Amino acid sequence: MDNVKQVLNSLHPLERKTLPFLKEGITLNELIGKTGLKDVEVMRALQWMENKGIIKIRQELKEVIELDRNGEDYKIKGLPEKRFLQQIAGKKEAKVSEIDVPAAELNIALGMLRQRAAISLRKDEKGELIVSATDHGKSLAGKESLEELFLKKLPTEVSQLQPEDRFAYDAFRKRREIIKTSVVKIRSVELTELGKQILNEKSSLKLDVIDALTPQVLKEESWKHKDFRAYDIKINVPKIFAGKKQHYRAFIDMVRGKLVSMGFKEMSGPVVESDFWDMDALYMPQFHSARDIHDAYYIKDPKYGQIDETIMKKVKAAHENGFGTGSKGWRYAFDVLRTKRLLLRTQGTACSARKLASKDVEIPGKYFGITRCFRYDVVDATHNCDFNQTEGFVAEEGLTFGHLKGMLKMFAEEFAQTETIRIVPDYFPFTEPSAGLLAKHPEMGWIELAGSGMFRPEMTKPLGIDVPVIAWGIGVDRLAMFALNIKDIRQLYSHELPVLRSMKVMY
Amino acid sequence: MPTITFDIDDLNKLVGKKLSKEKIEELLDYAKGEIEATNGNELSVKSADTNLPYLWSVEGIARLFRGLLGLEKGLRQLRPEKSKDKIIVDKSVRDIRPYIAAFSVKGAKVDDYLLKQIIQLQEKFCHSYGMKRLKVAVGVYNYNKIVFPVHYKAVLPESVQFMPLGFKREMTLGEILEIHPTGMEYAHLLKGMASYPLLVDSNKAVLSFPPIINSEYSGKVLSGDSDLFFEATGNDREAVQLAANIFAFAFAERGFRIRAVTIDYSGKKEESPAAFKDSIKVSADDANKMLGLNLKEAEVKQLLEKFRYGYDKGKVLIPDYRRDIMHPVDVIEDIGIAFGFDKIPARPLKTYTIGSTFPVTKFVDKARELAVGMGYQEIYSPILSNTNLLYNLMDVEDFGTVEIENPMTELFSCARTWILPQLMELLSMNKNTEYPQRIFEQGLVTMKKDLKDFERMAVVTAHTKADFTEIKQALDFIMGNFGVKYGIEDTVHHSFIPGRVGRVIVNGKGVAYIGEIHPKVLANFGLSVPVAAMELNLTDLFEAIKK
Repeated sequence: MDNVKQVLNSLHPLERKTLPFLKEGITLNELIGKTGLKDVEVMRALQWMENKGIIKIRQELKEVIELDRNGEDYKIKGLPEKRFLQQIAGKKEAKVSEIDVPAAELNIALGMLRQRAAISLRKDEKGELIVSATDHGKSLAGKESLEELFLKKLPTEVSQLQPEDRFAYDAFRKRREIIKTSVVKIRSVELTELGKQILNEKSSLKLDVIDALTPQVLKEESWKHKDFRAYDIKINVPKIFAGKKQHYRAFIDMVRGKLVSMGFKEMSGPVVESDFWDMDALYMPQFHSARDIHDAYYIKDPKYGQIDETIMKKVKAAHENGFGTGSKGWRYAFDVLRTKRLLLRTQGTACSARKLASKDVEIPGKYFGITRCFRYDVVDATHNCDFNQTEGFVAEEGLTFGHLKGMLKMFAEEFAQTETIRIVPDYFPFTEPSAGLLAKHPEMGWIELAGSGMFRPEMTKPLGIDVPVIAWGIGVDRLAMFALNIKDIRQLYSHELPVLRSMKVMY
Repeated sequence: MPTITFDIDDLNKLVGKKLSKEKIEELLDYAKGEIEATNGNELSVKSADTNLPYLWSVEGIARLFRGLLGLEKGLRQLRPEKSKDKIIVDKSVRDIRPYIAAFSVKGAKVDDYLLKQIIQLQEKFCHSYGMKRLKVAVGVYNYNKIVFPVHYKAVLPESVQFMPLGFKREMTLGEILEIHPTGMEYAHLLKGMASYPLLVDSNKAVLSFPPIINSEYSGKVLSGDSDLFFEATGNDREAVQLAANIFAFAFAERGFRIRAVTIDYSGKKEESPAAFKDSIKVSADDANKMLGLNLKEAEVKQLLEKFRYGYDKGKVLIPDYRRDIMHPVDVIEDIGIAFGFDKIPARPLKTYTIGSTFPVTKFVDKARELAVGMGYQEIYSPILSNTNLLYNLMDVEDFGTVEIENPMTELFSCARTWILPQLMELLSMNKNTEYPQRIFEQGLVTMKKDLKDFERMAVVTAHTKADFTEIKQALDFIMGNFGVKYGIEDTVHHSFIPGRVGRVIVNGKGVAYIGEIHPKVLANFGLSVPVAAMELNLTDLFEAIKK
């Protein structure tokens, strides 16, 4: 009983309106007629009641006979043969041409009536067709024919046809567009045990419950003596697509936050860089293969930028003869025009060079930059035309490779939550020693997390720095792909709204 | 970063010890190498160091491994046999491709595998270190087909013809550059030169047309050959000599005898291969200071010898197959590697520093939060775009764009100057996704004027009822939360509907456009819902309200 009560309490207004009319086998169409609700409303009510276990919705496929275009017409105006017969029944004879039946239907009417021996036809002296009703015909004119009775029964199901209907059905099937048959889904109600109990109790169905909690209800305090309609709280609700941060951008925010928490200060630089800051100031020789035009995007116009002459001279000397650092230098003639060539920044280390050369660089100091970089590459699952680099440095008297290792360990713990790491020899043109940080990913195995090294004196000294500088870079794109479980780098920059909307948030 | 392929068995033979794949992998760390692929007995190894070409050969790797494993130690020297072979360098190459180094080898046999190894080293060396043959190009020949002395000179393009490698007919040098596939690939190296370099023997038989192609006659090495001739030409003397040294050391690993060639630069003679006999002073103190270790001199010596250096009283003797040592730090790295990076104790960074971001970073982050709060989905796009999207589809004139001279594709051929077009493109791509679509993107744009970057934010709402009111409510919300008073002035902007577009002014400075997108622009993007949008210049706004 409790169950019955609970269910009764939870009925939605649509269900309440439908419930009184439920009986075994009643169809959806019948319920629509009886409740006066719209078909979707009855359907929803039935579905909810099915969810509650009151009914089962039975679906049957049935062959249904319906009125077709002419059939609709004949149902109102009468069949052509009947209209024809009625016009001549009271007369002895009549000219066929004077009978009011549309030309298209005339032949059908004449054919039908002759077949049934309801009329006789003759031609008069002028050749005109004269018609008269037979006695049988006169009796037919006053009666409803089987066909007419059948039309009134429509729509009906083929399986429900009575023997007398069969005749009309077969006759109409041969005629144009009077009836049509189609297969339709008929939904009908099957009462469950619970449903039967509820129908027995329906007298106790209180129709006066609080449906919506309105200001009116609150003001009148009617809630004090009425029940609330209980909701089906398990029901699926429509999805909303509210605002959220983009998955990759959110990841970068997280990386920035971690670096700040580790004591790094933000640095940056322009998207359009010069060869000087992008590579020359990093002690990358101008003839290095990484400098080939195929690796960088060069600017069409203007082609050259301005570089401070004092600092350029020092960098030039470093390349040519080591600038008094104890280095031989790269030993070639530094091209002072090429160094001014403008390009799109290829590496975040350009920002480190700018920071080291700036007047406000703090020593000891720790810096980071999350920068957009660009390389001449075919866009595919692992390369994008744009990518992000997270680069930085630590500058302080007395730093050693041991500190570099300590820093990399900290990065592995912070960014990959792992202490299982390997620090292996690596190569960068601007650091010596250079080391790569590999971290063990539970599924992917060893992944390269960061590159690092101690800036070469040929790089730091011309920029005015005399203390050891540990440089590091994290492939933040790749890190994000691991963290977000993304296999294609282009998904980091996805423009597909369904993808963006369904991306899980990281925490 | 070159990748080379070789057989494990061959490596083991050269090392003189059978190594497991795991051991090889471990030892490759010391050589900055990484196994890229394994195919049965065959390994593909990627080398990270673009400055150490001796490691782009299995012979070079084996030489280092023997040191690391303690099977051999210290400096290995090449002691070429003397010979009467000579290359006479004519003055005419001085301004074209001035330097040459050479040697010959005897005493062992070339098989198919070794031939592949020689060609591999040749290709990797010339491509990467040799800067696609500009700096160095290398040729290997059948020694027995050459009649010495060989002449290295420059000749007129049409004055000489010979049968280039892989061709069945003779061609002039000019023809080779025009017709031969290799000629066409490298023709740019000789562009604008009146005469071209040529190596020709005393019988006037052409050896090669450096740096383009060898001759079919003597420049073709076959399996079964045992006497070979090697030469390297280029415009960098040291690089050319280094090439000869690396190859000579590699051949020596294979049991060949190395025979010297005399290079005669107009009377100034030198022996090739040339020993650099280079050294650098590195003290244990320097190494300890940099690595954070406490090594004694004897230990340093031991580590250096393990890495195939020599050591003599503070002086580190550099192997002749290396030219990467410029500064003591280069040697100190190798001491560290030989000691083992994993054995160097890690230390925490000692100085306490306070981290921070730029004030404008905090500002734009708050603007993003406000947009998210209004129910807008954040978007993140590439900065690279194209002028068709930025201007044509938006029905506006170019307002000063940084264009790329060498774009990979027209789609990414300039830096974006505003963000709204990319968001319009996104709407266009997502026409079959549920509306409303409310999106925004905050990020950098770059202007040609002064080549300056700006932080911007575009905010877009698209659905059947999107209008000016909705987007102005969004503007109000953002400005209100920043405590900014703004005005809106009528303006003309062809991306928007006339009379429904405004310029947002803060403290006299225009900081945003706002309005309903023009139906013509909607049509350009194939959109059939109204779109209202604004684009804020956050850098300018931040400046305008800074106290």
